[in-house]
Amino acid sequence: MTAAAERVRGFRRGLAVDVVAALNLVGTLVTFLPPAFLVPAAVAVGYDEPPWPFLAAALATLAVGLGLARATRRGGRVGAREGYLVVALVWLLVAALGALPYIFARGQLESPLDAYFESMSGFTTTGATVVADIEGLEHSIAVWRQLTVWLGGLGIVVLALAVLPRLRVGGRQLLEAEAASSPEAGTLTESIRSTSRRFLGLYLALTAVGITTLVAFGLVGLDERMTPYNAVSHALSISATGGFSPEGRSIEGFSAASHWAIALFMFLAGANYALLYRAFVRRRPSALVRDDEFRLYVLVLALGSLLLLTELLAEGIASGEAAVRHAVFQAVSIMTTTGYASLDFNQWTALTSVTIVALMFVGGSAGSTTGSIKVVRHLLMGRMLVRELNQTVHPELISPVRLNGSAIEDRTLRSLIVFVFLYLGCFGLGALGIAIEGAHGDTGITPFQAIAAAATTIGNVGPGFGIAGPMGSFAEYTGTSKAIMIALMWLGRLEIVPIVVLFTRRYWRA
Amino acid sequence: MKVVIVGAGRVGTTVVEALHEEHDVTVVDADSARLGMLTTSYDVTAVRGDAASRRTLEEAGVGRANLLVACTSRDEINIVAALLAKKLSPGTTTVARTENQEYVELWRQRLLELDWMVSAELETAMSVSRTIGVPAARQTDVFADGQVQVVEFDIDDPAPESGGLVGRPLRAASAPADSKVVAILRGDAIRLPRGDDAIEAGDRVVVIGSPQAAREWSRRLAKDRRAVEDVVVFGAGHYGIAIARVLLEQEIDVWFIEADGGRASAVAELLPEARMFHATGFDPEFLRRERISHVTAAVFALGDDARNHFGATLVKQLGVEFTVALVRDAVSGAVFERSGAVDVTINPRLLAAEEIVRFTYDPRTRQVAMLQGDRFEVLDVTVREGSRFAGKRFHELPTTGSIIGAIVRNGRAVFPHGDDVLLPGDRAIIFTESARAALVQQAL
Repeated sequence: MTAAAERVRGFRRGLAVDVVAALNLVGTLVTFLPPAFLVPAAVAVGYDEPPWPFLAAALATLAVGLGLARATRRGGRVGAREGYLVVALVWLLVAALGALPYIFARGQLESPLDAYFESMSGFTTTGATVVADIEGLEHSIAVWRQLTVWLGGLGIVVLALAVLPRLRVGGRQLLEAEAASSPEAGTLTESIRSTSRRFLGLYLALTAVGITTLVAFGLVGLDERMTPYNAVSHALSISATGGFSPEGRSIEGFSAASHWAIALFMFLAGANYALLYRAFVRRRPSALVRDDEFRLYVLVLALGSLLLLTELLAEGIASGEAAVRHAVFQAVSIMTTTGYASLDFNQWTALTSVTIVALMFVGGSAGSTTGSIKVVRHLLMGRMLVRELNQTVHPELISPVRLNGSAIEDRTLRSLIVFVFLYLGCFGLGALGIAIEGAHGDTGITPFQAIAAAATTIGNVGPGFGIAGPMGSFAEYTGTSKAIMIALMWLGRLEIVPIVVLFTRRYWRA
Repeated sequence: MKVVIVGAGRVGTTVVEALHEEHDVTVVDADSARLGMLTTSYDVTAVRGDAASRRTLEEAGVGRANLLVACTSRDEINIVAALLAKKLSPGTTTVARTENQEYVELWRQRLLELDWMVSAELETAMSVSRTIGVPAARQTDVFADGQVQVVEFDIDDPAPESGGLVGRPLRAASAPADSKVVAILRGDAIRLPRGDDAIEAGDRVVVIGSPQAAREWSRRLAKDRRAVEDVVVFGAGHYGIAIARVLLEQEIDVWFIEADGGRASAVAELLPEARMFHATGFDPEFLRRERISHVTAAVFALGDDARNHFGATLVKQLGVEFTVALVRDAVSGAVFERSGAVDVTINPRLLAAEEIVRFTYDPRTRQVAMLQGDRFEVLDVTVREGSRFAGKRFHELPTTGSIIGAIVRNGRAVFPHGDDVLLPGDRAIIFTESARAALVQQAL
């Protein structure tokens, strides 16, 4: 036996993660994707566009999925340890396979990097785009973009509500009690299954209500532009808090009624699903009022809207109902990390720009498809801060940090701090990279725009500032910047920790 | 009367001491030495064995017993023995002592089939509260989402300076608004008071009223009207928690000092309104820094007489005016009070024993006092359309054996006066004799 083979065997013996089993699960999960390609293929046929890029992508995906699953069928069981690897790989691979139609179609997204960016942006429900001329896209490609967002949202519902809490990511255990408290939950897998089923139902319901409402708006004449095509496209993106639009100028062209309706749906999609379930399915609306996170969610939204409103009025950008509408819409859209714009906020003032970037760091509620840090973490960080200050004066004082009345364990708080640090660290590095690239290129990207670009991608929000504003795109950014942003979207979506964990020795070793 | 007493510890001995002359007493204990001591001092029958076993209980003659008192130091043994006795001999009145308020709650929800439960913690907490100057409600029942409370108060003897509550006919007494006295317990007698009855010193009264009114009652019945703002409790054990609960209910700030970190965290979680310090409480620098000397009173529930005494001495030196200490050992009481460090000592075991002895003198009164006993009940009845009392003024309603304390109309509690009218759809909170409960329900 050669020395090299000896070393490989030694390495595999020391490996405590069942990589084979993890890959097997990744392969199995990927095989669920091919049917999704049939939707844009059908649209292509309907609009007389070539369907083969989607069919080819479906075949390729099926081959990859089955091949991977087959090659790794000797693996053992997937446990929590393998969970981190599975989660990290699934998003990378699905985004890659989802990019295939863009490449095959040989349109604006022909470059693999651009295609991967657009696909990753979709599957992470970010909504940042590198398409310079969105209205020049073929219908089938535009539909596939919207669909990737919705599929990403679907994955996140399962990931955020059922998987991450069990991997103890960034204080996600907070939700664990909630998820585990369902009476039918027995074993871990059983409870993951029942939790996901319940919240997937909610996600589907939210999508269905969104589609129905917007289609109805178009039919009764509340909004002339809201064709069924537009209604479905936007509703798919809203329920996933994504932000892709087949319209070049986001949702500016729609009527005031549509703006309010979309704001409401974004608001709901940014609330905690477990809470929505209790309030609307179990019919206990008072649960909303009593929930600490929901109250802060509403408060921050109100404050953000107010700040934007004052500036809009003071600068005469809008007035009356329109000013209120644009202020509220923008605050909701950015905070829920959707990223739609009812007006080009890029053209507003310095104060509004800073407010909007600040809102990118808030995020929606835990247990939703929103990205970013999320309200509950801010809430607990604030409470922890107060406690630490109190304990400076009264070192012996014991005051548990509470959420909805129950004390939060110190372990949970620690993992929460770690998450926020990692989040800010990744954001800082990303912003630095984009800024350096921006300085080198001839695109004139300012440091503020670089910061916004990093914040919007790691927070899975979507639009940035400057050329990458809500009506623009990241098309002109350099390849390196795009690669950085792809990484940021991926990191942000998976809440960073599961990925960083993969880079520690202790993860791989017994 | 034949009485079986399970447990020959300190509580058991106190009970035996009180009962052995008039009653035929049998004592059950697993420890023959303790039994030996009892039989040499008192004329009682001793049975050695495990009280939670059928054989032992039958040997002790539980079938012929009128009363069984289970008062070992272990709650579970007491409960099993009492439950078992009730099953073996349904005619026997059973009493169990517990140190865990959870069990009292279970019993109140009628999940434990016992006739009476004595909680040393609760009795201690009540005693601390009275000592500090705030007579606490003995028991509070809540109706209509907390808008209506049924509260029991002990009136001190001599009567407190209560602002005209005590010693005057009720119609002339200036009772707090939104409250009504529905029962007066005096000695063995219980009466549903009319306007010309008066509350006397030593009575126990049952009041139905709003939460504000209930607090106002507490305030008025305060002995010397000393304003108690904050109390520091040393030791967050079972007793400390019970004391804190009663004080917090009186809107008094409670500070806890607990030396065990895990315990401190657990109790801080349990009682968010209390302020919790993780410290021994024996460090003058800490006590000064946290301004412990400024509190109205300090209560010592550290579970160790000597430490309680030391702590009390320390805080006295730092300027705390009023100190209360729990004592385990009967001797400690005299020593503590003589030394001047402790103003009042409270012996939980003695309190529990006294409570049990009082019960044996008159089981019926005590049960009534618990409201949920057999003779009186609080009903929550909605007045139906066509009831013969609907549309009547309150002073026209019959008063035999029942009294309406409050009504809930359109979701809001109303405390009716004589001229108010009872309407169909009103929810009436009624204090009534159990025997009349069905009748009252029918009539409304």
